[in-house]
Amino acid sequence: MAKRYILVKVVCDRKLTNEQLNEALNNSAKRYFGELGLSRIDLRIIRFDAESSMAIISCERNATPEVGAAISLITTYAEVPMSLLALRVSGTVKGAAKRGK
Amino acid sequence: MGNYLDLHVIPRPEDKQSCERMADLLSEAHYRTVGLTVATGLLNERIKAVRRIFEDRGLDTVLRVDLKPGSRTELLRLLRRFRSLYDIVAVGCLNQQVATVSCRDSRVDMIFFNGASRNLRFSHTFARLLRGAIELNLVSDLISRDDGWAFVRLRKAISVASEHHAKVVLSSGARSFEMVRSPFQISALAITLGLGAEDSIRAVSSTPSSIVAANRMKRASEYVEEGVKIVVPSRR
Repeated sequence: MAKRYILVKVVCDRKLTNEQLNEALNNSAKRYFGELGLSRIDLRIIRFDAESSMAIISCERNATPEVGAAISLITTYAEVPMSLLALRVSGTVKGAAKRGK
Repeated sequence: MGNYLDLHVIPRPEDKQSCERMADLLSEAHYRTVGLTVATGLLNERIKAVRRIFEDRGLDTVLRVDLKPGSRTELLRLLRRFRSLYDIVAVGCLNQQVATVSCRDSRVDMIFFNGASRNLRFSHTFARLLRGAIELNLVSDLISRDDGWAFVRLRKAISVASEHHAKVVLSSGARSFEMVRSPFQISALAITLGLGAEDSIRAVSSTPSSIVAANRMKRASEYVEEGVKIVVPSRR
């Protein structure tokens, strides 16, 4: 199945780990689209650089708007204000990573 | 890169650091123009300082005012007073009477509805009367409430606007840097709420851009009235 890769910037005063970001993403997607929606989206973190707070996440191509919506609705993680800013959407990891450099 | 606009950004002029962070994120998110919503009583120096913060980061700025009158007469008085001073005039509709007049009045660029209000929403009546655009503050409306009502209200507004081919402008309504979202995210939210993919892109690019361009033309010194402007003859 075709994928889309989204470069996101984590805007949070606390440094997050890969697992914490994954939890925040999955919780948001599950909350707004349910378990079935989450399985259809197939959300994964491909790369995460905690230092630069940049991550590349992948999803099903047809579910790109749902992922965009799910990441827009994240406002906190463990009661710390947090948001995700999608900077680039691409069909390849290389294309998505370009903007991050 | 497209020409993306977020016409509803509400910076806090007293908090320079927050304004700078907001401007950084908006610039990173590929916005070209932002509509800075300022209080009507704010001093000119303060407004200039806020604009400079955003313009230093390569963002084009337009000044916007949100009017929230309680009655028709108050709305007309506010429009007479503020229309010529701001690039964008938006009206927050608090009751049926204000919403009806705002939809009809050509001086109003955009109308928006309070996310918390259950009594008043964008209906077919307003869509038929609308001369400007309906603005949907997706981020502020969706994240400020937790009961799902905002989703219902926005979904209905999108459905009504699509049915009547009303102009839709998608904005964030960001009051802090944590509420800044990219054009992709704003349009993705609208798509999941039922707006078409192309319409959602238009609502963050060409529709707000045309409103800004039309108002800039009207505020230019050579503009006289619709279809009439002063043309300086070229020296030969």
